[in-house]
Amino acid sequence: MAPICVGDSLPDGTLAYFDSADTLQQVSIHSLAAGKKVVLFGVPGAFTPTCSLKHVPGFIERAAELKSKGVDEIICISVNDPFVMKEWAKTYPENKEVKFLADGSASYTRALGLELDLTEKGLGIRSRRFALLVEDLKVKVSNVESGGEFTVSGADEILKAL
Amino acid sequence: MASAMMRRSTATLRSVMGVAFRDYASVSVGSDIVSAAPDVSLQKARTWDEGLSSKFSTTPLSEIFKGRKVVIFGLPGAFTGVCSAQHVPSYKNNIDKFKAKGIDSVICVSVNDPYVMNGWAERLQAKDDIEFYGDFDASFHKSLDLTKDLSPALLGPRSERWSAYVEDGKIKVLNVESVPSEFKVSGGDHLLGQI
Repeated sequence: MAPICVGDSLPDGTLAYFDSADTLQQVSIHSLAAGKKVVLFGVPGAFTPTCSLKHVPGFIERAAELKSKGVDEIICISVNDPFVMKEWAKTYPENKEVKFLADGSASYTRALGLELDLTEKGLGIRSRRFALLVEDLKVKVSNVESGGEFTVSGADEILKAL
Repeated sequence: MASAMMRRSTATLRSVMGVAFRDYASVSVGSDIVSAAPDVSLQKARTWDEGLSSKFSTTPLSEIFKGRKVVIFGLPGAFTGVCSAQHVPSYKNNIDKFKAKGIDSVICVSVNDPYVMNGWAERLQAKDDIEFYGDFDASFHKSLDLTKDLSPALLGPRSERWSAYVEDGKIKVLNVESVPSEFKVSGGDHLLGQI
């Protein structure tokens, strides 16, 4: 799959999470994004530093601002299982808006064309670091890092586009 | 007399039937764990920075097992129920008793990356007592034939719940739960009684 870019339709896929009653749920991306303005950002791995210390906090801090500009959902996905995503999300007790969804098998990440082989770092197939702004399933902004950096995929870049 | 004949015929049946009568794991008591998994290494639980500064080094099995007395247990997943609430604590709470028996290391291994293992070990406050290793690509568990497909539970390929006592690479005790959700034979209390 070629990496998703501006103008593409957001593919559908199923991601997993634990709801507030601690029940495992699966959700289709389209059910969250159809007819809405959605920010979808991906990280290589839960509990790794850039993801934990820079990328995610940026979206948590800017969540209210994003919502005030019409964003309906802010979603963080990673190739991790839902147990790990749940525990990682707990390390951000101040978070109210960002949804942490698990793409355990990397199937959705592959559908977006954003997979990255991090086997030599002990991670296996993961996601690139990226951020998308999607309006009614059409990709309006696609910021994908080329390597491990954190330059274009943050919340600020998405805010500029709104 | 009759039992000896039974044993011989069972052994013959095993060799003839091969797969159908295979032991649960490909290793058993008496197997050499390092020979069973040549070229396999594990990744010690660590932070990303530690990984970076060590150039993402891995630990070969020989380094973990050769010339040492090791208690090792494997489980389906970091941060999951039985693993967190029962399995790890059963070893953490017995650590002094294991050390009193001359055990060099108590090791927890799971099919997770080493960063998740580190986050989990810190959450359980068990890093001082137990060494956590990640078998991120399941190569260790595949070599021992202890993998379990937990895709229905949205976990993907993982491991059985098991425990072992290994002396200088030789497996002295091996316990494998019949299903990973159970916690009957693989705990620390049970293993302590077998060493």
